[in-house]
Amino acid sequence: MSAARPLHATERAALILQLVPYLLGKGEVSVAEAADEFEVTADQMRDMVQKLTVIGRPGDGGYWQLPGDLFDIDWDLLDERDLIVITHSVGLERSPRLTAREAAALLAGLQLAATLPGVGDQGVVQSLLAKLARGAASAPADVIVAPGPVDDVRVTVAEALREGVAVSFTYQAPDAAPTTRTVDPVKVHIADGQWYLQGWCHMRQAMRTFHLDRVSDVALTGIPIAHGGEPVPDLFEPGAGEVAARVRYPHQIAPLLGDYLARADIVAEGDRDTATMRVADEQSLKRLAARLGGEVEVLAPAGARRATAAWAAAGLAQYR
Amino acid sequence: MAAPSSRSAPEERLVNLLVALMATDQGLTKDTILASVAGYREQSESGASKDALEKMFERDKESLRGLGVPIETIGDYADPDDLREARYRVPNDEYALPEDISFTPAELAVLAVAGGVWSERSLSAEARSGLRKIRALGNDVDEPILGFSPRLSVRTPAFAPLQRAMEQSRVVSFPYLKPGEERPLLRRVRPLALVDYESRWHVFGFDIDQDAERTFLLSRIVGDVTITRETFDAALRDGAGDRAVAGLNEVAARQQALLEVNPGTEASLRLRRRAQPAEQGILVPYVDAQVLADELASYGPEVRVVEPAALRDEVIRRLQATVDLHADHDGEHA
Repeated sequence: MSAARPLHATERAALILQLVPYLLGKGEVSVAEAADEFEVTADQMRDMVQKLTVIGRPGDGGYWQLPGDLFDIDWDLLDERDLIVITHSVGLERSPRLTAREAAALLAGLQLAATLPGVGDQGVVQSLLAKLARGAASAPADVIVAPGPVDDVRVTVAEALREGVAVSFTYQAPDAAPTTRTVDPVKVHIADGQWYLQGWCHMRQAMRTFHLDRVSDVALTGIPIAHGGEPVPDLFEPGAGEVAARVRYPHQIAPLLGDYLARADIVAEGDRDTATMRVADEQSLKRLAARLGGEVEVLAPAGARRATAAWAAAGLAQYR
Repeated sequence: MAAPSSRSAPEERLVNLLVALMATDQGLTKDTILASVAGYREQSESGASKDALEKMFERDKESLRGLGVPIETIGDYADPDDLREARYRVPNDEYALPEDISFTPAELAVLAVAGGVWSERSLSAEARSGLRKIRALGNDVDEPILGFSPRLSVRTPAFAPLQRAMEQSRVVSFPYLKPGEERPLLRRVRPLALVDYESRWHVFGFDIDQDAERTFLLSRIVGDVTITRETFDAALRDGAGDRAVAGLNEVAARQQALLEVNPGTEASLRLRRRAQPAEQGILVPYVDAQVLADELASYGPEVRVVEPAALRDEVIRRLQATVDLHADHDGEHA
């Protein structure tokens, strides 16, 4: 979870509007649990709850409010046991509607979630789309995620994940001979429309990441998962024993290099950046350079630079 | 009880204002609000100018509206533009989630996945905030769906202002660099939908100078998106997302690249998934020649473009530029 950061007054007000129905629904809840739900620190949560007690309806005569006009909490429970209980409420009991932007963010997420095999059948998704639209304060902007194709490989891998069994397949990594793998599936990642399987590879005896476009001849096995609980690295986390690489490119195209730059050391000289980073496979650099043809220069390792020149020259030779 | 603070925090004033506006049926006048709602009342009493208080009230109303709070203004029926005697209220049913909305355990489990997809911080916070409001309804939840980590990224600063302009139905302008052109052109657009298609964000809208609907790649917006004061009819947004996707699908169906791929290569694996077999090689649909040329160039000798010629030229240009840039074989000492 994102660590608690300072909030603006309007954001704090928004949290109070969500907090009241949450606390009333819970009846009694610990400061820690509520802080977790609202992604704030325990101190911030305690502070918000204490502030509730100065909020209420205007007094009848237009002046001072009577106790019954304000929210109240059980102070003893809060002070002595770190528990929150609202003992009197004067409004805000119902959960606010979603803002247009909250609804748009959830609707887009829902469209992506709907592409996951076995996650929410069509009925669930359609019903949610309607409920989110109806629960929004104003019409959300159309933020559309057009689904990519979901093939047998994706369906089978998702099934293996659900069933808790290993999956076997042929894996064709770039610039390598195909291999047959048996993998305990742990997690399916979708990033930039690309699907990856992370799991325990029986051949390598370690966690590995597989790009599902490079997977074929997929089949479920009857072997129950044995290594599902092992730690999984981040999707693009550089591991041990990898290659140090250096590339140079015009600063403005940096977004096109995406995850390559996630942990790079970047030095700017004029409008050009030089990035030093670790890559899983130096062969991938020639593909990156050719993709951004003429914009990205591979500086190191020297072998990758030579490979890049040869790669592009061989491609070009087909047209001569 | 905690010692009352002498000056209340602005969020307390905002929430006090909301509670007051929800507790009234006939509405409260500005004067009543400034004199009775905690936060204003103390400042009135300590001699703050009426002008300053009224400005504060206007700002607070906008802040609450920004949170989705429907503040109704009941004006003078004889003269609707005269707001001196206007009354303000918040209708409870428009403020709160409809009472007849509830979520099944399976729906909440899917929503939890949907709420976690955004990599970008502010969209992620919006999604999780929406999720909290729904969870506060207290419906039962299924076991969480584990094992999937779908992500949506937004890597361009154009996304947020375009979304804001869409919400407000405002015309935007932005510098747009079309491939092959020297300089960006300023486009004036009624933005109608943001579309993630083949994992690239597009904005679909009505181009005012072209007098037609157009789709723009966000990555080619090379400067600030300016939200103008000019508004447009919000009804133009109806069904825009579906129109945009249908339009892109139609382009993909019309544009096909004829390619020869070497079997067993990365190019073959990646391209065959979306290809039709042809007499000579495979046919791959595409929406943007530049985007496809980038991909095809990355495959080097694994793929050869037969046609169209324009696509072939783009791939050749990238390969040639790559050769030229790496010609010395000596990057470390360059």
